[in-house]
This record gives sequence, C-alpha cells and structure tokens, in this order.
Amino acid sequence: MYKTNINLEEMSQKEAIEYLNETVQPETGSIPAYLLGDPTIYDLEHKKVFLKTWIFIGHESEIPNKNDFITRDVAGYSVIISRGADNQIRGLYNMCTHRGMKLCRADAGNKSLFTCPYHGFNFKNNGDCVGVPLQKDIYGDSLDKSQLGLHKIRVESYKGLLFGTWNDEAESLEVFLGDFKWYIDIFAGRAEMEVMGPPQRFVIHSNWKIGADNFVGDSYHTMVTHGSIAKLGMVPSATYSKKGYQIHTTNGHGLNLGTPNPDFAFPEELKEEYKSNLTVEQYEVLSNLKNMIGNIFPNLSFLISHTKIKGQLISNTSMRIWRPISVDKMEVITWFLVEKNAPEDWKRRSRESFILTFSPSGIFEQDDTEVFTDITAAASGTMPLVKQLSFNYTMGLHRKPVTEFVGPGVVYDDKFTEANQRNFYRYWLDLMTK
Amino acid sequence: MTMEKMLATYEFEQWLYREAKLLDDIDFDGWFSLMHPSLKYQMPVRVNKEGIERPDYALDMFAFDDDIELLKIRVDRLKTDYAWAEIPPSRTRRLVNNVRLLDYVPDEKAVVNSYLMIYRSRSTDIHHDLISGERHDEFIFENGEWKLSKRFFIVDQTTINTRNLAIFV
Repeated sequence: MYKTNINLEEMSQKEAIEYLNETVQPETGSIPAYLLGDPTIYDLEHKKVFLKTWIFIGHESEIPNKNDFITRDVAGYSVIISRGADNQIRGLYNMCTHRGMKLCRADAGNKSLFTCPYHGFNFKNNGDCVGVPLQKDIYGDSLDKSQLGLHKIRVESYKGLLFGTWNDEAESLEVFLGDFKWYIDIFAGRAEMEVMGPPQRFVIHSNWKIGADNFVGDSYHTMVTHGSIAKLGMVPSATYSKKGYQIHTTNGHGLNLGTPNPDFAFPEELKEEYKSNLTVEQYEVLSNLKNMIGNIFPNLSFLISHTKIKGQLISNTSMRIWRPISVDKMEVITWFLVEKNAPEDWKRRSRESFILTFSPSGIFEQDDTEVFTDITAAASGTMPLVKQLSFNYTMGLHRKPVTEFVGPGVVYDDKFTEANQRNFYRYWLDLMTK
Repeated sequence: MTMEKMLATYEFEQWLYREAKLLDDIDFDGWFSLMHPSLKYQMPVRVNKEGIERPDYALDMFAFDDDIELLKIRVDRLKTDYAWAEIPPSRTRRLVNNVRLLDYVPDEKAVVNSYLMIYRSRSTDIHHDLISGERHDEFIFENGEWKLSKRFFIVDQTTINTRNLAIFV
C-alpha cells in the first residue's frame, strides 16, 4: 500500500520520481488523478518533458517570404522564427543578449533587423549582433559583438511542420517522429499545404494532458460529448466515430483513423497531386478517410474532420497545441490548414467548416472545453493524491493488434480502445522518470 | 446632430439593449428573429502587430464567420440535449454603450458602432470571464422592423480569455 500522508512538494525529486513509478501504471490501465492537478508534477514536466522533446512551433507557410518572422512560445520561452535572406529558417530566443529585454512583441511580420527597445542593440534575423548605439564612444574597442549574438534554438521541420527544442542532445526530429511520419505524410504532406490566417488562441482552465489524451485516442467520447452533431445531421450517427483503426507508434504518438468513407473527403481536382506525394498505400488510406484525429507527443494535436454542412460534405484540416500556462490552465492555439492548390470555393467552405466546428466558437470544440475544465477542477489539490484516486484506462486491454494493416505502428481495428492513451502515458512516464 | 439622427440613435440603442436582453435571457429564438436573411456575422482573430500598423485583426481568419444558415445551426444545437458547453447556460450580462450612428437612411439602412462588454459566469465558478470589444453593425429595414444584416465584432484580446465562444457576441 502507498503512504496516505503523501506530499509531493516535500519529496526530493528522486522520491517524487519513485512515487510516479509506483503509481502510474499505463500497462494495466491505471492513471492516477494527481497527474492532472499536482503542481510538483507540473514543474517536473516542464523540465523533463517540455525542455527535452520537440515542441510544435508553426508551419513553414506562415513565413513564406525572405525576412518573414513569427514569434512563438517553446516551453514557456518566446522565440522568433525567422526566414533569413538566405531562405533558411532559424529559431532565436526573443531576448536581447545585453540586458534580457524582449526584442520583438509582434506576432508576425517581415523584418531583417530587430532593435531592442531598451538600449537599442541591433540584431540581424540570423541572430548576429550588428549594432550597438554609441559603441566606439562608450565601449572603445573592447566590445566583441560576435559574442553577443542571439541565443539559438534548434528548429527542424517535417512536411512543413516546424518544431523546436531547447535540448541540444535531442534526437533529430525525423527520428523522434519515427514511424509516425507515415501518417503525418497523409495529414500534412499529402499536397502542398498552407496555413490560412493567424492561429486562434484561447485559454481553458484545464491541465494540458487532458487535451492530448482526448486527441491521441479518445473517439469514445464523441458519441456523448458531441451527440449534438449527430442530432443536427452533420454526421450519420452517434456511433459514427467507432469504425476505423486506432494506431500508435513509439514516443507516445498516436492517432485514430476513421474509415471507410464512401465519399472522397478532399478536393477531387487534387487527386494527381495527392498521388504524387503519397505512396500507393497512403493514397488508399486517404481515399477512404472519413476523419483522422491524433496527437504528436507531447502537445500537438491534429485533425481531419469530414462533416455535412448546408447539405454538402466538406473536410477541414487543423492543428492545435495545448500550451501549458500552469497546472490547471492552458492556452489552445489552433491553426487551419488547407491545400494550396484547392479551388477557392473549396478553401472557403473548408475554412467555414473549421470555424463552425473546431475554432473557439466551434460546436465540437466548445463541448470538449466544458469537460476539460471540470476534470481539471476535480483532479486538483491534495485530496486526489492522498486518497489515491485513479482513472480507468483499461478499454481494449483484452484485444490484440491487427497485422494486415498497410501502415506502420501498433494497429487496432476499431477506434474504441485506450491503447493510445496507455502508450502516451508510458512515454510520458519514461521521460518523467529518466 | 439633427433631431432625426438623435431619435434614430435612441432607436438603435434600444434595439441593442433589447438584443442584449434576449441573449442574456437565453431566448435564442427571439434573438435569431432579429436577423436579416442576408446576415454576415463575423468575429475576426485579433493579432499583435508591430507599432500602430492597422488593421490589427485578420482579414482571413475568424472565430465566427456565419451566414444565416450557420447561425441557425448554432441556435438549433443549443436546443438539443447535448450542447454541454451551455448546460447549464452561462449567466451573461451584455453591457452595450458608446453607441454611434454612422450612417442612416430612414426606413432603409443604418450603420451603427457600439462597444460591448460581456460578463460571463459559469456554473459554480468563482472566477468570471470578461469579453470586450467593438461592434460594427449594419441594419436593413424590412417589414417595418430593423434587422441586423452585418455584425463585425472586434474583440480586445489576441488570446481570448474564456473557455469557448458558446455564447454570442
């Protein structure tokens, strides 16, 4: 039995890790509630997860031109993601190296030079310090500007998706994504994709893992939480979300693949483009896709959704991160992606369906947020820890993966299982206890 | 200001107050009946720009981008038993002020700007959400009534500090 006077705050880091190892049991489907509400866990996550892994930043199409930049957050730190005059994409810590002032306060723009608002130090968008006001006069010849370049963050991309990490020892992005790339190809690499507009941002009083958990494998909730959608006739039935496959790979990544679909969910005009970007097997999956919901560890969730709006079927593709703000609060940042070469009317309708379903006003989105908030409230504080409350993640434990599926990973036929959530928490636990 | 414009300004103030009351009273059907079939109901995403560059909102991404049909879907959804986001409904208080009549053709059309502050309280939460912004509204006079034909709501936050927009702005 565990101690009942447990207090993570008073434990050493080593003891807290031991306690995690004792109490978090992904393989048998037992996940304690305190993971969602304990500040010690949250602090440890910042160090062990968010400072260690690849974190999603944005899409290359957000900075299409030379000197375009966006500012984004990586593990709580603002970074400038800039496309240099040499067309190379770089990540720079948004902090003046002289005294630490934030260099750039805009969300996006086009600039080759950043000037610090404090003392006016100048930095090129490759990070070089190129100007110090009155330098000769006040420093003489003693200041070596080459030592004052902006701090860099590692940035790598896959199929247009940009990720950053503060961990110089982290494996390459492609290795980190591993077999999951096969599915990312379908999601983000099926055609030339572009982000339309700026991302949408809103705050939910929720622990970030609830969002990741929901997207990585929880199609079960759609019957009830999103029951209104079936009532409105936007999807055929409440159990619509059951059919398909649940798939996960190493490093906690996972997705639910809704299939089959009698209709082609994407613009017919682009079939050749899809075929040229995908393997025969990937194209077959795309052709039969009715939806795709997944999570790239830790907090990038993605979605292809196909619904009937105003009597017409239309799909929309979106991504969101669950950016932790505190143990019980997160910022949701949502991007809408669309095929660049799709007909204008298709793009317009796809955006319309995204806004109606998965923007902050989205009629799918909003019911989830209600759930996330209440789970977080119930898991917070000391009681769930001392009373050892835990959640049941045993769905599908009795089932065996299928072997005949065309894509890689551990695959279950039928989406109603919690294998992906167990896989998510297994990798999370591995990182936390490393 | 002419007497005619004063009276018209008063009329639109009263229109907006009545609209606020219908929404705060959860009378969505009543609210929906104020809309003109040509409605465009938009809330652009607000962005942080360098300096005073304007407009500081997106022209191609919205938190709401509805026509009358989409708005009807939202209203109908709120009446199903599964619209969890608003079960029980938020308690809201819409404060409308700084109403300015920008364009007015009697018995035909009008353009009205106003400020909006929404107080939102959910369930037993002790914290509340505040959503503030500016409305650019357009009206069409039809069958003896002013109907809203366009709403463009410019919210004052780039990160919206409310869990969702299951409420109307």
